[in-house]
Amino acid sequence: MSESDEKLLGRMLEGDEEAFTALYRRRQGPVYRFALHMTGSAAIAEDVTQEVFLALIESGRRFDGSRGPLLSFLYGIARNRVLRRIEKERVTEPAGEEYAGGEDLLDDLTRRETVEQVRRAVLSLPEAYREAVVLCDLENTSYEDAAAALECPVGTVRSRLSRGRAMLAQKLASHMARSVT
Amino acid sequence: MSEDRVVEALRALSEQDASREASPEVEARLRVQFQSRGRRRAWRRTAVWATAAAAAMVVFFAVPNRKPPAPAPVRGVVTQPVVVQPEAALAVPVKTARRVRKSATRPQEVVTDFFPLMDPAPPFERGQLLRVELPASAMQMVGLPVREDRLADSVQADVLVGEEGLPRAIRFVSFELK
Repeated sequence: MSESDEKLLGRMLEGDEEAFTALYRRRQGPVYRFALHMTGSAAIAEDVTQEVFLALIESGRRFDGSRGPLLSFLYGIARNRVLRRIEKERVTEPAGEEYAGGEDLLDDLTRRETVEQVRRAVLSLPEAYREAVVLCDLENTSYEDAAAALECPVGTVRSRLSRGRAMLAQKLASHMARSVT
Repeated sequence: MSEDRVVEALRALSEQDASREASPEVEARLRVQFQSRGRRRAWRRTAVWATAAAAAMVVFFAVPNRKPPAPAPVRGVVTQPVVVQPEAALAVPVKTARRVRKSATRPQEVVTDFFPLMDPAPPFERGQLLRVELPASAMQMVGLPVREDRLADSVQADVLVGEEGLPRAIRFVSFELK
């Protein structure tokens, strides 16, 4: 069985570089994707990922296991950085070529087109709803862990998620209607 | 559009992006940062131990009322304990605002403000001010900037020792020829 995040963090704080590397490799993906889905920018997602783990190196002792798992702590840091970047740069438009895959079959094109519509719809949500949708629906985070990351009650996460999905349904339906006409 | 369809669409997006992650350059940069922080921590640990050891030596050799009477000060490490009123000294603005003491016979002495060594500090009535020599890395311990190539150099410092023999605060000293 692999070592828990918290144990790896403990070793990392003692100066164990191997533990830091293991922890980074395990958790950088979710942090990166959270930032990517929140901003639509791969470059910002990279910056945010680096800043999050730098913050962990500098002040990992601030982590309090009683308030949630380490991943929620990392999401919390990422969220602050992302909101700061959004505020500063107002980034919501993804660069199309960043998401291009290698497939070129017609079915895949249709599917990819749908996925890109969903991505754009997610990016157009207000931040409070977007972060609930990204964490719970795209990263499969539990309501409890999302609440720890977003520093709000579980009920708030549920209601934001529900409202976010409703807004997405509206946006996607209107887009489909435009496509038909 | 139903909520189920929305969740399904979101799942498709999640699956498509499941393998996306930061580039290897990010990991490389972070590992460099981690190693450099490790080196800084090692210096700081050394400085703390050096300060503690110096303060302990000072207390052992120089605190008065010991029986038998205190031996002569260790040359180059301690000179002339001075009784001070600590309240004024411990009102610590932790910036590097400098004060100057003038001397007719010696180069001009420049000192930093006091930096507390105990947090929180216990009640303080009286104390002694003791001059010691420390590695420059001790200055980093209290947040003062030191060039990497000067960390091993010696600097003079005044350690404020409480009546119970515990070091309470420290300030650093340099000399300017005028």
